[in-house]
Amino acid sequence: MTDVGNSPRFSTRGLALAVALALLVGLAIGFGVSRLAAAGSPADDSAAAGFARDMTAHHAQAVAMGMIAAKKGNSHEVRTIGEDIALTQQGQIGIMGQWLRDWGLNLNSTAKPMAWMPDGDKALNGNLMPGMATAQEMAALENATGKEVDRLFLEMMIKHHLGGVHMIDGVLEQTDDPGVLWLAKGMKTRQQIEISDMQQLQATLAKR
Amino acid sequence: MSISTQGGEQHRPNVVKVGGKPAAGAKPATGGGAKTPPKGGKGGPKKPIAPVKVNQGRNWGPIAMFAAVGLIAVGIIGWGAWAAFKPGGAGYDWETRAAGIDGITHVTTELKSNHTYNPEKYDQNPPVGGTHSYVWQQCMGNVYDAPIPNEHAVHSLEHGAVWITYRKDLPADQVAKLAAKVEGKEMMLMSPVENLDKPISLQAWSYQLKVDDASDSRIDDFIGALRVNATQEPGAICSGGNTATGDKPLTEEQVAAMQQQQQG
Repeated sequence: MTDVGNSPRFSTRGLALAVALALLVGLAIGFGVSRLAAAGSPADDSAAAGFARDMTAHHAQAVAMGMIAAKKGNSHEVRTIGEDIALTQQGQIGIMGQWLRDWGLNLNSTAKPMAWMPDGDKALNGNLMPGMATAQEMAALENATGKEVDRLFLEMMIKHHLGGVHMIDGVLEQTDDPGVLWLAKGMKTRQQIEISDMQQLQATLAKR
Repeated sequence: MSISTQGGEQHRPNVVKVGGKPAAGAKPATGGGAKTPPKGGKGGPKKPIAPVKVNQGRNWGPIAMFAAVGLIAVGIIGWGAWAAFKPGGAGYDWETRAAGIDGITHVTTELKSNHTYNPEKYDQNPPVGGTHSYVWQQCMGNVYDAPIPNEHAVHSLEHGAVWITYRKDLPADQVAKLAAKVEGKEMMLMSPVENLDKPISLQAWSYQLKVDDASDSRIDDFIGALRVNATQEPGAICSGGNTATGDKPLTEEQVAAMQQQQQG
């Protein structure tokens, strides 16, 4: 009976070694799995994360412009496109914010705007990203009346979209995240269509 | 010769060949039933129960296997827990970041979110939450050069904005430094405040930090932890809203007039 406990194959030392080994294997698997998972989600300084943060700010201004156009556009075309842009881009802001949360990243970063794009700082005007209106330009749109609303809105939104497409191209070149690619491609297609729509509308309204 | 060597090997189920050809020796005693101890064959009466004892002692294979699997699981779970809760990891949320800012105030008593057109009295100066105007102060990176009504600013905090305030005697270069953190950044606004007990005060919903100098690194920490994150209304916006300065909130008539103007 007693000799069972002393079985030479299961000495205390051997058992301790096996325990340690099993724990190590477990930790190694955990580490490996977490590495694999991390490799799949963009890092804090990645182009995808930078795009999510900066395009959120860029979109927020488009929402502001779009709401002004929706409320007091002089023509029904401007009111319609303003409403469309405001609601669409506000929805897209929600999607981009959720990316950051899903990736375990803060919505805020100490990095300068556009830092994720090559030569991004050269495209900056203060904190304003490509295509963004200054505070003075926004105030002018807010205070405009009549046909001036349409004229300012179309001018500012075309410029805003062109800057936006430039940023979208920046992330398309740098990410392979399927969700980011999907939204960025959709944004680009839509904004390019809207640019030509708005240019046509400028010509139409000039004759009206 | 110990007992365990004799019966042990032969009676571990994974060693026994079931239904195959008889074991090499072809002795009737061992080749027969797998589970029956070799009684009878070899001088049975000598130690009749010894093999049973050995077998029942320890079945080391399964025990070792379960132990190993269990320990590996503990290792994996341990790693996961560490990865989730270590400082800087995904579990290191904004509230933890905010709590780690030296000198920050967090109001944990209930802050009301009701809407009103009346002037309000707040417990903090500047306020960090409480009953506020129906209309928010525009917080699209607006830098106001005169005081703004608390009742509108608190609504901006509710939406997730960080409100930077400064005492009127703050040197111009420091005001410019603060403005650079605000201009063109949505979910940020800035204004001077009367009767401030410190040169600079930062507000987010339920949070406040007072500092002496615009180059204090805690300013960026505060913004980084709380901007948007402290919102009471996820998905809310900063555009639209009131852009007028003053010390009294807009009355109902003024709000109606403002909306009339916004609708062209």
